[in-house]
Amino acid sequence: MKKDLISIDDLRLEQILNYLDLAARVAAIPDAEKFRFLPGRILATLFFEPSTRTRLSFESAMTRLGGRVIGFSEAAGSSTAKGESFSDTIRTVEQYADIIAVRHPKEGTARRAAEISRLPILNAGDGANQHPTQTLLDLYTIRKFFGQVDGLRIALVGDLKYSRTIHSLCRALLMFDGVAMTLVSPESLKLPGYLLKAAKGTTATFRETSSLEEAIRETDLVYMTRIQKERFPDVVEYEKVKDAYVLEAGMLAGVPARFKVLHPLPRVNEISPDVDATPHAGYFEQARNGVIMREALILDLLDARPARSTP
Amino acid sequence: MTPQSQILLIPKIECGYVIDHIPAGLGIQVMALIGCHPELEAAVVTLGLNYKSTRMGRKDMIKLQTKSLPPRLLQMLALVSPGVTIKRIANYEVVEKVVIQVPELFDNLARCINPNCITNVEPHIGTRFKRLESGSRHFKCAHCERVCTLDELAGHLKA
Repeated sequence: MKKDLISIDDLRLEQILNYLDLAARVAAIPDAEKFRFLPGRILATLFFEPSTRTRLSFESAMTRLGGRVIGFSEAAGSSTAKGESFSDTIRTVEQYADIIAVRHPKEGTARRAAEISRLPILNAGDGANQHPTQTLLDLYTIRKFFGQVDGLRIALVGDLKYSRTIHSLCRALLMFDGVAMTLVSPESLKLPGYLLKAAKGTTATFRETSSLEEAIRETDLVYMTRIQKERFPDVVEYEKVKDAYVLEAGMLAGVPARFKVLHPLPRVNEISPDVDATPHAGYFEQARNGVIMREALILDLLDARPARSTP
Repeated sequence: MTPQSQILLIPKIECGYVIDHIPAGLGIQVMALIGCHPELEAAVVTLGLNYKSTRMGRKDMIKLQTKSLPPRLLQMLALVSPGVTIKRIANYEVVEKVVIQVPELFDNLARCINPNCITNVEPHIGTRFKRLESGSRHFKCAHCERVCTLDELAGHLKA
């Protein structure tokens, strides 16, 4: 049976841990050896909306594995511009490739692609719904920095209302043991109530604070997010909150050596460039981990996992 | 109104089905659902509105003289009016009685409430809504994962 990765909600903790383990094994393989894994295989990257990082990360992963990449980077470059339906695009492209990564502004598109295609489908973001490869790379990064995810104290900062990255990460963290989440956001961008309720019956905890400094003092890592201008119907409302939380290097004075700052990128003003030079900046390594996790996912979905004996 | 005159208003049928315990006010909507099924075009249908009910206070009731009820109608009833009773009548007697329950899955019965869901962009795509958990009145779209209530779904019934 073919495999897909559509939603974090489809995964059990055991499956998530398997992906993190696989990514760790893939990271240990020298790039020069990775080329032998997928020669002659083709990844189609169907990006109906622009996303430089995610698309390049998928393309880098497939290329490093020795495969090739075809695709488009915006709807204008596809037959959608000529009126073709999404379903027809999938049915056509599956004739050209071995695996498909799809990003689309409409929710449910990745699930639809998985329903109708015989190829493995990787959800690279469907509207405001899911971005599971981002969540897995975030978890991989966190585990790499701290050795584990269980019991960590994690601050989620910025746009907690609209950020699908935050929502998916939250859902995943609830599966781990005793994660304490501190929520830092403007009043108008608080975490939706249904996610707070989802903690019921788990060992996770939520608490809210309006102080970024307090959150830094009392957590192991802060996960910063961009306030997304495109989400605001009224630009005046955006202007009120756009710089609500700006992390500067001076705020990190006195934090433990292992304290980390993560961000899914792109950042605007929420992390000052002076943080980059501190040992706490983890976001560029996080971006690097995106390639590793996507390598692992492509290998898994194509049933080409490296043998366990591989260094 | 005497009990006798109530009985006269809803005459017994020889064979067919009674949809009973429809919440008062929903009878017209259920009639519209029946009208969507060409299989029931020849059925004689009797609609009774706002009858006294010991259990519900007031209720609506529909009697259909037909040999069978389309399964899709039963699914629609489960969405629009769960809790109604379906009684099969043979030789003027109730021979079978079923209370329509909220199911675990609605298969291509309603449109998603999320206008940005792919199933609304390409309406030929079959929808599926799964119950969040047993006993819940919340359902999740199998495509966009938006959670909605049973009432919201009932308001988005497919034609």
